[in-house]
Amino acid sequence: MDFTLIIIIFLILSILIAIGIGANDETFSIVYGSRILTMKQILILAAILAIAGALLLGEGVAKTVGNSILNYEATEAIVITILLSTAIWLILASALGLPISTTHATIGSIMGIGIFVWGMTGLNWGMILYMAIWWIFSPIVGFAGTYVAYKILFKYKQKRLKGFQDYESYEMKFAVIVLIAICITAFSRAGNDCSNAVGIVIGVGDMDIGFLLIITGLSLACGLVILGRVVIVNLGEMTELRPSTAFAAQIPTAVIMLIGTIQKIPLSGSHMLVASLVGLAKASKTPMKKGLWKIILIWFLTFPMSALLAIILYFPVSLFF
Amino acid sequence: MKEKKNDLIEVSEEYQRELLKCMEALHDSVDTLIKNKISHTKLDEVIACEHACDLLKERYIEIIYKQKRALPFLIEDRYKIINGLDNIADKSEGLARHLKIYPFEFYQDIKEEMTHLNNITLETIKNLIEVVALMETDFSTALTKTFKSEEFKREARNSKYTLLEIIYKKTDNALKSVITAGLVSKMFDIVAMAEEFSDYLRGLIIKYPSK
Repeated sequence: MDFTLIIIIFLILSILIAIGIGANDETFSIVYGSRILTMKQILILAAILAIAGALLLGEGVAKTVGNSILNYEATEAIVITILLSTAIWLILASALGLPISTTHATIGSIMGIGIFVWGMTGLNWGMILYMAIWWIFSPIVGFAGTYVAYKILFKYKQKRLKGFQDYESYEMKFAVIVLIAICITAFSRAGNDCSNAVGIVIGVGDMDIGFLLIITGLSLACGLVILGRVVIVNLGEMTELRPSTAFAAQIPTAVIMLIGTIQKIPLSGSHMLVASLVGLAKASKTPMKKGLWKIILIWFLTFPMSALLAIILYFPVSLFF
Repeated sequence: MKEKKNDLIEVSEEYQRELLKCMEALHDSVDTLIKNKISHTKLDEVIACEHACDLLKERYIEIIYKQKRALPFLIEDRYKIINGLDNIADKSEGLARHLKIYPFEFYQDIKEEMTHLNNITLETIKNLIEVVALMETDFSTALTKTFKSEEFKREARNSKYTLLEIIYKKTDNALKSVITAGLVSKMFDIVAMAEEFSDYLRGLIIKYPSK
């Protein structure tokens, strides 16, 4: 097949995945849940940060996924299969209104196809293990960090705040802090998310990374603006949120995401945020919205399903490429 | 934002002053009834104050809902507080209208107890207004004051039944007995409503530091 045509197909798939990722981006959900900004303001700010994050931070992480997981060079058929299976799984989950980890879906697909084509030697298990430790570790830290942060704030609140006006100014201060923290998260996350859309393309072709990142950033922003509000609303209303409690949930997520990006580890922001919200609900003894089990179930299904999907899709795709 | 917050506090304080004025006018009206010199000017003042309260409430609600970034729990709770106070203002107007059409001379033998009930009613509302004002800056004192409402209600209930016991024994004019008993009950209802609202406020005071 003509190389230019292949590149165009890759690009279209990457754009579709990036739109899907943007649509499934829940970073701003706690800003919505605690009513710090309106939905319109959230979408504008999120779009700007998605583009900026993809351009300024995306390169490092994109290279990690593309080159470090597979021990062999990926063929066009493999690349397309991975992109297709990720896109399908992402769309299926979004249709159900569930925030999933695109990172897990992409890496699940890469692992599935890698094992299928080259056997166990096809994958860089050291790197996978290193990532897996982060994936397990990060939600636990999110949960525990939020729990502890909430308890500290709770003690402070009980000692210092005396009336409505105190509560109001206290929460307003946190609204500003949360907004800054969310902007940092959205910025670093956009960089992190780029890997899912363009990482594998970088592993094959000789395309200009800067151009790919611009396309990805714009596509992430498109997904956010067009479809993103559904996930933002769903997660934002998962438990009762105030700016101070949103801060307790956000800080661990922001810190770990930033460390992950610096370390060039593609982490799941969805998992960390949901874990943080569960930690918050536990610490504040607030009931959670029904449906958490669906989110957890789809987390567990993401790896095997995307791997299986990649293997199944490999047969028809390899007939053409 | 800060300006809007100050507006909110200002309107809230103005509302509290107006409600207090309404209750004082009602108190004076009942006093004039007891002295058999019912003052229609005072009763009109109650009705006018209630109307002013309604307008202030509308302004207050407009301000809280214009604060798009205000904290939802505060909006909700402040809305419920202003509504709670407004219910009391409505009840006062109802009582004032009842007094306006009261066609009899007041029973001589219940004047003292009625004065007592009238004073308790005013004290209860004063206390409630203080609780609402204190909730802005001092939960702890506000909490202590909410318990006073219970004492007032107990006292008012004793007074109510003392009055009704005397009224129900009257045989000279059944209509007068019924209408006067209604008056007593309406007055007690204001205290009961204030106490119920004070319970709700206590719940809020407890809820805030625990969330």
